[in-house]
Amino acid sequence: MAEKRRPVILDCDPGIDDAVALLLAAHAPELELLAVTAVAGNVGLDKTSRNARRVLTLAGTEVPVHAGAAGPMFGEVVTADEVHGADGLLGVPTPEPAFPLSEGAAWDVMWEMALAHSGELEIVATGPLTNLGIALTKYPDLPEHVKRIVLMGGATDFGNTTPAAEYNIYADPEAADLVFRSGIPIVMCGLDVTHKAYFTQEEIDRLEALGTPQAVFAAKTMGFGVEWHQKFLVPGAPMHDPCAMMYALEPELFTGVRCWVGVECQGRHTRGRTVTDAYSDAKSPHGPNVELITGVDRDRFVDHLTARLAAYGTP
Amino acid sequence: MTRPIPILLDGDPGHDDAMAWMLAQSSPLLEIRGVTSVCGNQTIDKTTYNAQRVMTLLGIDAPLAKGRPRPLTGEPMAAPSVHGDSGLDGPVLPEPVVFPVDLPACALMAKVLEESAEPVTIVPTGPLTNVASLLLTRPDLKGKIAGISMMGGGVTHGNWTPAAEFNILVDPEAADLVFRSGVSITMAGLDVTEQALVFPEDFAAIRALGNPVASVVADWLEFFYGFHRELGYAGAPVHDAVAVAALIAPELFHMEEMYVVVETGGTYCRGATIGDRYHLSGHAPNARVILGLDRAGFVGLLTEAAASYGRGGKEHG
Repeated sequence: MAEKRRPVILDCDPGIDDAVALLLAAHAPELELLAVTAVAGNVGLDKTSRNARRVLTLAGTEVPVHAGAAGPMFGEVVTADEVHGADGLLGVPTPEPAFPLSEGAAWDVMWEMALAHSGELEIVATGPLTNLGIALTKYPDLPEHVKRIVLMGGATDFGNTTPAAEYNIYADPEAADLVFRSGIPIVMCGLDVTHKAYFTQEEIDRLEALGTPQAVFAAKTMGFGVEWHQKFLVPGAPMHDPCAMMYALEPELFTGVRCWVGVECQGRHTRGRTVTDAYSDAKSPHGPNVELITGVDRDRFVDHLTARLAAYGTP
Repeated sequence: MTRPIPILLDGDPGHDDAMAWMLAQSSPLLEIRGVTSVCGNQTIDKTTYNAQRVMTLLGIDAPLAKGRPRPLTGEPMAAPSVHGDSGLDGPVLPEPVVFPVDLPACALMAKVLEESAEPVTIVPTGPLTNVASLLLTRPDLKGKIAGISMMGGGVTHGNWTPAAEFNILVDPEAADLVFRSGVSITMAGLDVTEQALVFPEDFAAIRALGNPVASVVADWLEFFYGFHRELGYAGAPVHDAVAVAALIAPELFHMEEMYVVVETGGTYCRGATIGDRYHLSGHAPNARVILGLDRAGFVGLLTEAAASYGRGGKEHG
């Protein structure tokens, strides 16, 4: 008998790399994807909540999609449409949604699912952490019920949006601060690992050659990342958001260190920075709150991610 | 042989400052024109006294001036856990025959710059209080500064807080001023200095050189390693010596040009040096940040420097 599927919510802002994370989640035999919650981020909420349904339609499944926050808890909206295109999916042909948005706000759904699956629910978060920040604000007991949060966000050395900060954290530092201080076990897949978890152009071509609609879509969205990430000294397209989902599926591909991470919400130059004590002689008095992922077996990561997308071709 | 590079040493000795000065004094490529003390590892009285003792031991024949008793803003912050109560615990050192001149540190720096025919390189290995004071009081002399080769900061992590390195944390406002000054900066931060490890077998090789300075250097390394061994280091990270070594043997180091900014605010980040490695800020690079080194080459440089004191010190070719 198959093992029980682990209950998961994917909180995301699709977004090209969120889309690949969605494709992985929708077809993962290990997971029961309870809901997808959308947040404003890479593009606006209207687009992310629609793109989530477009990608699930491409995946051939119907999972409840709930809209969440249309902007950060505090401050101005920071989008990244220079990376993701005006529609958030770089104009790559994607089906129209086959189903409507579900009723209920993202944070209420998180709470309901956390109660229904108390101690079991995992949240994979691949956008700004606004929905989780609001959920923690509205439901202070949420940490007692959530098993863990696996998130894509942050960077402990160099940011990609400012020199100090990575996009998802920079887009809503206060929400990230609430999440990191919540007491919920956190797995952080930041640029520390995602810049090592890349697909080369050759590997993208191999993926595209699988020929399934899902693989072709994923390959096309990845293709753009190769050129974009040259300035980040990455020899391919980093799989930012898929990294978090792959960690949720196959943690043995990754290495990490338990440490403290705090989110800088002030600072003239450092707003949105994730500060860690992993590499410092001085340790935080707060103690470890995060499993900081720092390494990946890239060859196996590429093979397994490719195989999971290839599995769409096998009914 | 080319003319030696004129330098100003500015530090808070400190074991690794002392070893940086040992390296500088031994090198025929450098000429020490002045020395200034700064409060950092210990109080200004202690670091000044240590500077006197180290200059006496090494035979540094240059004027010494005492720095400010405190950072530009805020209060002093010492590191007795690393350097001991004296700021330079360990071997017995000679009583000083060198005494500070009657000038503030920044005024001695200005005097040296004014009197030099060619631009002078400043080598700060403590908080940047004196250098900032110089830039504040004599902005007209900026053109006489050839560059700054400094130990401080870290673009990947801190050591005194998770985000900040000690020298920058002691006086972030001074560091901010220096990094925004437009003066060419070579930054030996924790990124490289924690790799600049001298292993216990290296101490033994230095001790075996047999000359009095080498024996003291070996004792300093032993003392300095004590603190770091507890933290899990495989050797003594001789942070400050990297700032001097980068002038003498730049080929030993991997450097990247980037814009570096100092955080003076923040909940967690005060004193952090942020490196714009991916050129996102729109600012032109203001620093060569050292990210790696040839460790064996670096240790060889230190060992050879210690050996030179057995042959009568600096060997000008």
